[in-house]
Amino acid sequence: MLAENQFLIQLTDAGDGKHPPCCVGTGPFQLAQGLPLSLVANENYWGGRPFVDKVEIVTHRSVRDQWLDLSVGRADLVEVPAEELRQAQQQHLTVVSSPPVTLLALAVSDSSLLSNPNLRSAIALAVDRSALSNVIFQKQGEVTASMLPGALTGYSFLFPTDRDLNKAHEVRGGLNTPPLTLAAENNPIMQLAAQRLALNLHEAGFNVQVANAATVLHKDLALLQLTLASSQPQAALESMLRSVGVVTPVVENTPAGLYKTEREFLGTHTLIPLLYLPRAFAISGRVRDLRLSPDGSPILAGVSLEDAQ
Amino acid sequence: MNLRQKLLLLFSLTVAAAVAAVAWTVLVRIRLVFEQRDQQETALFVSQFQREFQHRSAEVAAAVDHIAASERVRTMAFQLVQSGDAAPYLTEAQTLAQDAQLDFLEIVGPDGKIVSSAQWPARFGYFEPIAWVDQPTFLKTEDLPDGTSALGLFAIRAVGRSESTAQPVHIIGGKRLDKSFLADLPAAPGMQIALYKEADQSPSTEQPHLGPDFAVFDPKRLINATGEVPYAARYEHLIDTAFNSRQETSAILYLTDHREDSVNATAIPLKSDRGEVLAVLTVSISRSGMVQAQQHIRAIAYGVAAGGILFAILCSLWIAAKVSRPIEQLARAAEQVAAGNWETHVPERSRDEVGLLARSFNHMTAELVSQRERLVQTERVAAWRELARRLAHELKNPLFPLQLTVENLIRARALSPEEFDEVFRESTQTLGMEIANLKTIIGRFSDFSKMPKPELERIDVREVLDRVFSFYDAATPDGNAIHFQTRFPTEPLLINVDPELIHRALCNLVLNAMDAMPNGGTLTLSTNENGEKVEIRVADTGEGMTPEECERLFTPYYTTKQHGTGLGLAIVQSVIADHAGTIAVESRPAGGATFVITLPRSSC
Repeated sequence: MLAENQFLIQLTDAGDGKHPPCCVGTGPFQLAQGLPLSLVANENYWGGRPFVDKVEIVTHRSVRDQWLDLSVGRADLVEVPAEELRQAQQQHLTVVSSPPVTLLALAVSDSSLLSNPNLRSAIALAVDRSALSNVIFQKQGEVTASMLPGALTGYSFLFPTDRDLNKAHEVRGGLNTPPLTLAAENNPIMQLAAQRLALNLHEAGFNVQVANAATVLHKDLALLQLTLASSQPQAALESMLRSVGVVTPVVENTPAGLYKTEREFLGTHTLIPLLYLPRAFAISGRVRDLRLSPDGSPILAGVSLEDAQ
Repeated sequence: MNLRQKLLLLFSLTVAAAVAAVAWTVLVRIRLVFEQRDQQETALFVSQFQREFQHRSAEVAAAVDHIAASERVRTMAFQLVQSGDAAPYLTEAQTLAQDAQLDFLEIVGPDGKIVSSAQWPARFGYFEPIAWVDQPTFLKTEDLPDGTSALGLFAIRAVGRSESTAQPVHIIGGKRLDKSFLADLPAAPGMQIALYKEADQSPSTEQPHLGPDFAVFDPKRLINATGEVPYAARYEHLIDTAFNSRQETSAILYLTDHREDSVNATAIPLKSDRGEVLAVLTVSISRSGMVQAQQHIRAIAYGVAAGGILFAILCSLWIAAKVSRPIEQLARAAEQVAAGNWETHVPERSRDEVGLLARSFNHMTAELVSQRERLVQTERVAAWRELARRLAHELKNPLFPLQLTVENLIRARALSPEEFDEVFRESTQTLGMEIANLKTIIGRFSDFSKMPKPELERIDVREVLDRVFSFYDAATPDGNAIHFQTRFPTEPLLINVDPELIHRALCNLVLNAMDAMPNGGTLTLSTNENGEKVEIRVADTGEGMTPEECERLFTPYYTTKQHGTGLGLAIVQSVIADHAGTIAVESRPAGGATFVITLPRSSC
């Protein structure tokens, strides 16, 4: 939606003394005002001036409030979390959703308590992806054990997703650990998912306490949401690895190479992919032609609004 | 111990015993009264707690009934049975619990798996045993996501049970038994209510890392309406007993080292429907009131006892003044009388028995004085008579020859001058002899009448005896049948005496002893120490004396000899008495006699 920082070209001064300096990139909109966030159409956009003149973005609104705003006409575009998709459909909202672009994964620290790879392997075998997908995310997610979605690579099915509690016990081999900390974002659905994972791990013999990621200092486990940054598998994989601290560039661009890279990395069990979730938005009746980019973000440049009567 | 001390002790013991008995009785009574009151309050609280418990149970049951009967839940149950898809109802329990103000709520599907849980949302899909369907309400320990567990009062209802449904959907709702529950309980002033919840003792499949020994008493699990209970560790034994016996248990607990901090505690086990104890409710009533009352009474008792003892002291002093002092005065007076002061008089201050005794004593001493005077008079008269008799007897002997001689001279005047001269010479010779005899007799009387005052010197008694022994042993001719011997100690025995007077006295005794052995015998001079006294013994092996003779031996003019004035032993007695000593005789007929002189020893 906004040009990323690495694409920022310049901070220009309009020169007329009337308009404040603003960031000007190559995107379709320019920043007009900081708070509330307000964007105006970039007349000089290389792809042609957008249809809408102005976009106002209101942040820090709960999903319920966003939907309320949508229903009373105060908003044209609101978020629909994956777990609320079914309900949004039941409420007959106009929903635009992307393919699964957000990876829900469990990051496992390989230092101190979980330095033993068998313990990490037992954790990977103990997680129950189907419960997360079917219940918590209301069947809107795609169970996965790979970093890239199957739609992008085609080899996702090669990574087993089934839970094997017996093998988890076998691999753990009676090793005991002190209580582990599982950090998750302080929103209800992530906390619920973390609690469910903690239960799964309890059954495998791990004592896991869920904590708020913003306040906990030490994390043995972390529930992450990683966004697919590109529709190109190599770039997407490299971006995803970079986001979990692996800075080595991905040189392979063939499916076999990418599979091997993924397999090698996932074999360390420091990242356990769980689900791929779509991004979705509900729109008002006057919004036309809203499309989502590969990462699931809305492309506002092509959006038009039906004129108000 | 004198009478005063005995009286003091008696009064003190009486007062102390009386006060102790009363105080002990009162203390016991107070304790019983307070304990009875505590029991009544506890029983009242228990009944109130049971009512409150039932009230809560009814509230929970009503809430769950309302939920189960609601259209929303019935629709959900129908959909669950039809489709088997529980996912849409994941958060339903939270919403329903919030609306019904329940702390716990679970929706259990027909397959027995949790559809939605308000207290642990992530537990969907896990089996929840339905074992309390027949119970209106029941106690249960509920596990929580943070690893702890909470005790709650639960109710379970089936939704839409019908013949067509094999297993219905169940609603399990409950409320916590926590601090807010305790705060709502009707506690009387001074009563502390606390709840101890035992940790889950059975190894849970969800928490297999917990070992079997998880039932260790943890003071932090004993909570009251405001939080943790102070001195919770003191409740350990009581709570353990309640857990093990599954019966209501009472005990006195000392929370600190001070008795005022003790409490009457009752532990009431809270049991599940299967009879296992899930928690213990403790009711503690402070004993500070009773302890303070007891301390107050003890202080009063001590004060009364101290006052009583003081009173006893005063009484004993008063009684001593009234009784023992007069008696002591009487005793001292009696001592004085025994010492010879017959003029002693005791004051007559009262009209009671003590006064009567004093009057009797005074009368006795007066009589004694009077009798002594009469006795002295009589003895004096007797002594004069004896003296006169003795004098007459002694003087008569020489006077008769004098008379005859004068008569002869008168008759001789008629004779010739030559015969008259001869008669005159003989007569004058006779007159001279008898006049000398008279002078001797009168000289002895004079000597007895005026004994010289002793001039005391500190001498060794062995020297005096040795001098006497040497004199008589040397003066006795060889062949005499009397054998002289001495027995002296090796250490000197010093006495303060007039050497000459003692010498004379001892010579008198030796002469008497020699006179008592006309046919010979043994005369022994000995001396020894007897405590603070020195004894001198003059013993003979002569004829001995009868007891009657011994009694009269020291009486002036008494003698067993054919001749003599009878003043010798009287003079000896007088000399010894002047030296603050005593003389006694030990004798029996034909057993000899021993004169024992006892003199005070000279202090160094």
